[in-house]
Amino acid sequence: MKKIITLLIVFAISLSPILPVYAEDGKVTYDGNSQQFIFEPGSKHSLTDLFSNFKNVMPGDTLTQKITVKNNADNKIKVKIYIRSLGAHGDSVEFLSQLCLRVQKSKDNEMAYMFDAAANETSQLTDWVYLGTLYSGGEVNLDVTLDVPVELPNEYQNKIGYLDWEFKVEEFPVEDGDPIAPQTGNNLYIVLWSALIICSLAMLIIYLVWRKKDKENKDNAVRC
Amino acid sequence: MLGKIKIKIVIVALIAILITLMSQATLAYYSFVGKSTNVVTSGNIQFLIHETTDQGKEFPEEGVYIVPGNVVSKKVSIESDCGHPFYLRVKMLYGVESQELSSEDCFKLNINEEYWKLHDGWYYYTGIVNPGETTPDVFSHVEIVGSKVDNSYLGKTLTLTVKAQAVQSENNPITDGNTYNASGWPAE
Repeated sequence: MKKIITLLIVFAISLSPILPVYAEDGKVTYDGNSQQFIFEPGSKHSLTDLFSNFKNVMPGDTLTQKITVKNNADNKIKVKIYIRSLGAHGDSVEFLSQLCLRVQKSKDNEMAYMFDAAANETSQLTDWVYLGTLYSGGEVNLDVTLDVPVELPNEYQNKIGYLDWEFKVEEFPVEDGDPIAPQTGNNLYIVLWSALIICSLAMLIIYLVWRKKDKENKDNAVRC
Repeated sequence: MLGKIKIKIVIVALIAILITLMSQATLAYYSFVGKSTNVVTSGNIQFLIHETTDQGKEFPEEGVYIVPGNVVSKKVSIESDCGHPFYLRVKMLYGVESQELSSEDCFKLNINEEYWKLHDGWYYYTGIVNPGETTPDVFSHVEIVGSKVDNSYLGKTLTLTVKAQAVQSENNPITDGNTYNASGWPAE
């Protein structure tokens, strides 16, 4: 048995170098409980970095980054999600102006690129662009493509470019006739708080009734 | 009577608070904004030139004393020091007392022609240097040509400088197998 396990381990280890390594997808999650966005995976350069595939790029590269935007609010809420670009940081403009960036919604090939310009620009994403209405657990995927020109000069080796994006949600109540969203998210806090309030209320009523009766008993005793 | 009214008021108030809290999730609608700072970084090509002796020691920086006819052990190889594969070429520059010499003047190198092909004054490595790899030696010995190094070189310093250049092999295919035809070789 030990030999078989050892063989399996050796086999797994020997396979590991040939297994493909995939870079992480970017994730933008709207957390309804904390009412804030969570950006993943982040990097050593920025905790909110969504571009894990766009590192150590070389002239001639064409790279794609998938970004999933997800609504993690509870079932009673639907959200409208928007995106806009704030453009490159001042010291990144020169480098990013050499690169071309395209953004489009996945599985929506008929839709023109919502952004297609030099990476430093805000272009079509200067104003808020509506991505969709998402129910609890719903998501929309973006494909971001970066083109690095093959003639990129040597002076752009080892450069870092920072590019800011903003995401916005608007919360709305789920109405009758809206599609039923799957049960997702964590409603524990609502249940917990409700139970706590009901218990407190019940104890308060019991206390008040008890105090009233106690007072009546004392009044009766004085009269006697 | 007053006590009963007070109790009723308290109960109604508490129920109102409860209803308010319970319904907050559906009555309060907000708008929130989050910012992500996304980062693009560019790679680079880097390498190290190794110069060693037959014994595997570093070739002395201060050089060695020679006499005409000597064969000096000097092995030159190049190691990748980056995460990208590249094509490579090297050139040897000869000099005496900061004056340039032609290659035939004083030195004779045993170039490893299996891996290094001469083209327009450069020796091109015939393969691709992958991350972490070291090339085969460009040469391993330098002969001081006795018939060329006469008394006029007495007490002088002869120099042999190895110059190397690299260009990425990613997105840069060569059609005929000759690495000197790759795009992007820097100007000399």
